[in-house]
Amino acid sequence: MNKTININLGGVFFHIDEIAYQKLKGYLDAIRRSLSDDPQGRDEIITDIETRIGELLSDKIKDVRQVVNESDIEEVIEVMGRPEDYMVDDEIFSDDSYTGYGKRRTKKLYRDGSDKFLGGVSSGIAHYLNVDVIWIRLGWLVAAFGFGFGFIVYPLLWILLPEATTTAEKLEMEGEPVNITNIEKKIRDEISQASARVKDGIEDVSEKVKNADYKSYGEKAKSGSQDFIETLGKIFVTVFMIIGKFIGVLLVIIAVVTILALLISLFTIGSMDFLHHEWFSYDSFFYNSSGLPVWVISILTFILVGIPFFFLFALGLRILSNNTKTVGKTTKLTLLGIWLMALLTAIFFGTRQYMMTAYDGSVTVRTEVPYSTLDTLRLSIESDKGIVDRLEADQTWETRHSWDREIVIDENDIEKIYSNNIRLNIYPATDSLVYVKTRKRSKGQSRQDARENARMIEHEVVLRGDELQVPGYFLSDIGNRFGDHRVYVDVFLPENQVVYLEESSRSFLYEVDNIQGVYDNDMAGHHFKMTRDGLDCLDCEDFEINTSAPETDPESFNMKIDEDGVHIQIQDEDSEKAEVRIDENGVLVRSSKDSI
Amino acid sequence: MKIENTKAQMRKGVLEFCILSILSKGDAYTSEILSQLKDAKLLVVEGTVYPLLTRLKNAGLLSYRWEESTSGPPRKYYGLTETGKIFLSGLNTTWNELVAAVQIVTKNNESKSTKK
Repeated sequence: MNKTININLGGVFFHIDEIAYQKLKGYLDAIRRSLSDDPQGRDEIITDIETRIGELLSDKIKDVRQVVNESDIEEVIEVMGRPEDYMVDDEIFSDDSYTGYGKRRTKKLYRDGSDKFLGGVSSGIAHYLNVDVIWIRLGWLVAAFGFGFGFIVYPLLWILLPEATTTAEKLEMEGEPVNITNIEKKIRDEISQASARVKDGIEDVSEKVKNADYKSYGEKAKSGSQDFIETLGKIFVTVFMIIGKFIGVLLVIIAVVTILALLISLFTIGSMDFLHHEWFSYDSFFYNSSGLPVWVISILTFILVGIPFFFLFALGLRILSNNTKTVGKTTKLTLLGIWLMALLTAIFFGTRQYMMTAYDGSVTVRTEVPYSTLDTLRLSIESDKGIVDRLEADQTWETRHSWDREIVIDENDIEKIYSNNIRLNIYPATDSLVYVKTRKRSKGQSRQDARENARMIEHEVVLRGDELQVPGYFLSDIGNRFGDHRVYVDVFLPENQVVYLEESSRSFLYEVDNIQGVYDNDMAGHHFKMTRDGLDCLDCEDFEINTSAPETDPESFNMKIDEDGVHIQIQDEDSEKAEVRIDENGVLVRSSKDSI
Repeated sequence: MKIENTKAQMRKGVLEFCILSILSKGDAYTSEILSQLKDAKLLVVEGTVYPLLTRLKNAGLLSYRWEESTSGPPRKYYGLTETGKIFLSGLNTTWNELVAAVQIVTKNNESKSTKK
């Protein structure tokens, strides 16, 4: 069963079925194209041909109700000849002689609309240069993303280059001589393509037919400027399309990379827990208080992060190509269910873990140090040598990490938790005695629990002769492994007490106030005297500080303090200079604008 | 060179001359011209003729008029113009000369080839 269409051929009315109509239309279009070298005569010739076809069909169709079918049209085409048969006049009437063989026509640069990714610019250039189009396209990619100018040049060429629409233009584009054989070949290709399309598109033929008249009127009315605007519009649409595709590619890449990374980490971290190697397991020992094995946590993480990225991946694929089969509904719901379950589990154990360390608690111990103010007190950090079997020689605490935590065995053969998260500070004493306040801090399920945990921290300051020894580590009960244990050691010195900070204390000093503003790390190896104003450095001679204030350039602010006095130089962005000099000649203040 | 191409070129070359000759005997509409050419086996497909007619008309050798038909729509009747007639007589002379020349050449070659 076929729909029929009413047509008028040379003033005669015909019923024609859809397939026959498409065939006839394709035939007339092909003739029109092959006659495009002669735009004036073309319409007239087409009218004559239509009239003739009408006559031929009238001979076949005796009854008005009879429908013209495909075989009728085939017979008519048989009589009328192939589109290339209409090309005869070129050779007869054109002045230049037959250019069949040997003579090579110059190529012309067109856009190839039949092989296009965006506008057919690349394939046009490929025809012109006689190379495969893929190289040109790769070239554009390099030009666009490597150098940037591709983004400008491509649309420009798109606008400026005409598209090869007629057969002659297409042959010119490919550099083939425009002659009957080639045109015939070309048109035969086109017709076979067109007929293939007809077979595919029979369903929407009636729609096409409805629009056909308006379309042809529109085409006639279309002027050059409209053509230009249309091209511009196409470019905009394409640009948005490209941006969309780009986002799609980005999504897919991100998703794939993340899922791969997750997979790798799932198999490494998870399997390392199975291996139970000391090196790999001790970390989880300290951080994982949920009571779950690490591989369970790994799988949980994989599910929690992996599933959303999987959906992202699916989304990216969908953006890239519309006909990608999306994930089935069952799969989707299952994945969502698994994800929600994993989320609930994670929330449950996460909350439990958080609860274990929800409260802070600390215990402060005051230790009196019986020491006369006459002699210099040496403040040193006791080494942990012998307690921790370190790989690197770490006696000087040079490479101390305050987050170092380990399981050690103490002198009584009991497993303990070792940490060296200790902060040392010095304050003025309120009375005339040297004393030390040790504040041990921990965390726990409740304030009480936290204080209990803090109390378990073993850390004691010892005075030996003139040396105040602060252990550089503390031990804690093995069960007390969670919570960020810390020990603050505050040494209180009475006025005029001189203290020498041993080298070993270097990395433990933490925000120690002093008059000179010497950095914590630089204080070690120097003598300090406790005065009314705070700690005063006694041997910080020849001290140069290059302070870089947050918003000043390091070079624009320079302060120098030495035996010659104090010299400060400031230079701002407008290269205005200011200078302050204090030396044996007095105080001098200068600025580039005017001297004060 | 393809033999089909050469044959087509030869046939199409004289087509113009034949159309003018047909019309010299009196005005005719397209179908009549076509049937005469087809009877003479000069024409394989009809399509060739339409561009030719238009070109000849545009060159001023032909003119046409519309004539009512008893069956169907009005028909396009072609006729020779004055220039067309002069053009045709010119072609006639050339044609006769050409036929004579071709005959001499082909005959000579035939006799030569039979001698061998």
